Amino acid sequence: MSEIPDFGGSARREALAIASELIAYEAALLDERRWDEWLALLVPDCEYWVPTWIAEDELASDPRRHLSHIYYASRAPLEDRIARIRSGRAAAVVPLRRSAHVMANILVESCAPERIETRSSMTCHNFDPHGETVDVLFGWTRHSLLLTESGWRIARKKTVLLNDTMPSSVDVYSL
Amino acid sequence: MDDRPADGVFRLHSRVYTDPEVFEHEQRHVFGRTWVFLGLESQLPEPRRWLSTRIGRTRVIVTRDGEGRLHAHLNACRHKGAMLARQETGEGRQLVCPYHGWVYDLAGKCVSIKDERTGNYAAGFGSDHDLVSLPRFATYKGLMFGSLSADVPPLETALGEIRPLLDLALEQSPEGMEFVPGRIVFRYRANWKLQLENGTDFYHLTSTHAAFMDVMNQRRQGEGNQEARQFDWHKRLQQRAGTFHFDYGHAAVWMDQAEAEKRPIYPAIEGIRERVGEVRADWMLKVRGISLFPNMQIADGASLTLRTFHPLAVDLTEVRYYCLAPVGEAEELRAWRLRQFEDFFNVSGLATPDDVVIYEDCQQGFATSPGWLQGTARGHGLLRQGGNEAAQELGLEPQASVIGDFRVQNETTLHPAYREWRRLMAAGWEAEAAHV
Repeated sequence: MSEIPDFGGSARREALAIASELIAYEAALLDERRWDEWLALLVPDCEYWVPTWIAEDELASDPRRHLSHIYYASRAPLEDRIARIRSGRAAAVVPLRRSAHVMANILVESCAPERIETRSSMTCHNFDPHGETVDVLFGWTRHSLLLTESGWRIARKKTVLLNDTMPSSVDVYSL
Repeated sequence: MDDRPADGVFRLHSRVYTDPEVFEHEQRHVFGRTWVFLGLESQLPEPRRWLSTRIGRTRVIVTRDGEGRLHAHLNACRHKGAMLARQETGEGRQLVCPYHGWVYDLAGKCVSIKDERTGNYAAGFGSDHDLVSLPRFATYKGLMFGSLSADVPPLETALGEIRPLLDLALEQSPEGMEFVPGRIVFRYRANWKLQLENGTDFYHLTSTHAAFMDVMNQRRQGEGNQEARQFDWHKRLQQRAGTFHFDYGHAAVWMDQAEAEKRPIYPAIEGIRERVGEVRADWMLKVRGISLFPNMQIADGASLTLRTFHPLAVDLTEVRYYCLAPVGEAEELRAWRLRQFEDFFNVSGLATPDDVVIYEDCQQGFATSPGWLQGTARGHGLLRQGGNEAAQELGLEPQASVIGDFRVQNETTLHPAYREWRRLMAAGWEAEAAHV
């Protein structure tokens, strides 16, 4: 059992304020399709991971040995995804589904002057205006935030999808 | 279905994808009367393990008993029919029904009926309480198959001449093949046969996956996901390609490999050559796709993928993707394989979602009753009975074959599948008519 955090600490309170705003900001960028600003919020060697479930109660724990829905060790593959979304040459992105994230229950798991580790609850409602269907993805998100020369940025984002019988398309804007 | 070989006509009517009666008939007479893939033996690596799966809508449990023998049963308690295996996999000496506590061993024998002595059963209760075994169960080189009907040819016969092609996927390691841990399941709102068709369809690649190919072009400038070591599609489109057609509805597609060095088995190819010979090792490097009727496909184009697709309703299908890999693969090759797989496949990949969204568009299109479709005609003029030089290399004798360059993008691979489909459907109608 891990130790109960020092909830009253001022460093934690400050970290929570930074993390809450940054995570909400990221969600706004994704929902509003501000792709360049979203990419700029990630450091170039940002790790981006959506593990699969191995069994009902066992989550993939090693992206080199287990299958992931998405695993990237840098931002460059996310740039591929944005290029694909923008191309308009893929049936799954025309028309693009509309997404609304709710990022809640943000917790600071650890903090240092230049690094904050958080855990939050993610819900993303998606509407497909072509198929007139709605799907909801939900789960837990862990962000690692890093203080860079340009300010706070995302160094790692891991999304654990709890509903992993997937709809017909899943992309960064719905995670 | 309009099949007139002498006139060069082969057409499908849109009703095959939309009619609920056709769907019910398929459940009984296609999925109910043919061999269906159940899983890999390596999913049950030790005694006292079980795996739950399905044949059509029928829930099946495959077990490895205490002596290591494999069994397949209906996943339903004999008492009230509740599912015994409620998880995808499990282990243990026994299966206990969570409802009234009847207990079965992994060979399917009922070993305990709770409070049997005080149950005051009459004589009619009898002594047959064991799980219902599948009428047929057999394995081929680590692949497990079952049939809900005993009236099927032996598995080896039903797989027939496609076996040398299956071997190319199953013998990439002397230790056998396994699924990389991780579960990919998605559902699409369209008929199961759209996945059956797309699995051997080269024609859609340059249009459906245009955005994917744009991304590949960008990557050649050194941008984007270099770790996926994805292939140069411009080179691929120049290659020699062909198809083989087999009895019982199976088909295979192949294409020469322009960039063999990007295949995760390439660093191990010398050992593979020594083990399986030069020709077969070269074939392991080619792009290959196998469609095993009715609902299992192996695609070895980027990473090695095995997928199954399960009809849930006339317009609802569940797809399972597995990343198939050699047992004992070096960690860096495994990671390479995974990144290549995830880049293309899955509804979170860069290509599969476009296929899946278009299946749904097809189903919407079928609702307008377009009637006779024209999607099984490309390559028909090149179709030859029997094999060709490619078949000779592998020593296999297909029922028919096509060889040409990639741009033929032959669609006649669907002919054997739909002929088998019609054979089974017609036999079903005949059998039902005889019972009226």
